[in-house]
Amino acid sequence: MPDFLEFIVDKFTFQVATDRVYTTAGVWARPEGALVRIGMSDFLQQRSGDVAFAEVKPAGTRLDYDDEVAVIETIKVDISLGSPVSGTIMEVNPALETTPEAINQDPYVGGWLALLEATDWEVDRARLQDPQAYFEKIKEQAEEETR
Amino acid sequence: MTEAKQKVVIVPCSGIGKTYGSVSRQAGYVVVEDLRPEDTQLAALSLLVMGDEASRAMLAGNPAITIDGCKLACATKMVRESGGVVAQDFAVLDVYRRYKQFKPQGIAELNEGGEQLARALAEEIVGIVDHITSGSGGRR
Repeated sequence: MPDFLEFIVDKFTFQVATDRVYTTAGVWARPEGALVRIGMSDFLQQRSGDVAFAEVKPAGTRLDYDDEVAVIETIKVDISLGSPVSGTIMEVNPALETTPEAINQDPYVGGWLALLEATDWEVDRARLQDPQAYFEKIKEQAEEETR
Repeated sequence: MTEAKQKVVIVPCSGIGKTYGSVSRQAGYVVVEDLRPEDTQLAALSLLVMGDEASRAMLAGNPAITIDGCKLACATKMVRESGGVVAQDFAVLDVYRRYKQFKPQGIAELNEGGEQLARALAEEIVGIVDHITSGSGGRR
């Protein structure tokens, strides 16, 4: 289990896993050897609502940074997620086919979206926010919205 | 003297302003008004929340089928808190996952997908109603 930064706004508790980096839109990326695993942040999944369907681009798809990697349909919205890394999708989380709610229940572990072979992780890494910066950004955003 | 016929109580979500809440209520209307008017009756969740005696009495002698619009499952929780027996609980999202082609949109007025989803949900509910009224019962 990853460690978390955590804050509470109103009745909601938001967690930011500290072992990965984030796009400003709330997609996380975590390097695992030569591959990079990606998924939705807890903040993004809670704001988006219960997931009805998760359609991730299939294995073998080549993506540039911020290309659409998945479309998530929730009870509130349809959201297009941009890839935090450029590269090739090697594996899609098979659990999402039958249990897309894993994104809501376990966004940082069981609810991952895809595993990619990055073209140049260091270049993409430089574009992404570290956990503390992402944490500060969403905390401010959440507090602003409750005012 | 004949005993009054038992009617299954249908309790939809009261989520006004939410598409899935509207689907749940529309499904309830389809069951009670169109498909099984003789075997079912509708209870308003808002009245149960208010502690309405007539609504609680309705639940006291009849099994209930709840239709929840979100994971908070207010309808199911409220029926149980009111002393009712939930024979079956439905969640609109779970039903939608089985009928992806019926994408619900709209709130005050559902789109065609929402109406079709409500109809599909109503037909699943009717299956449970028939199971109960045939004497086979349901689950709590």
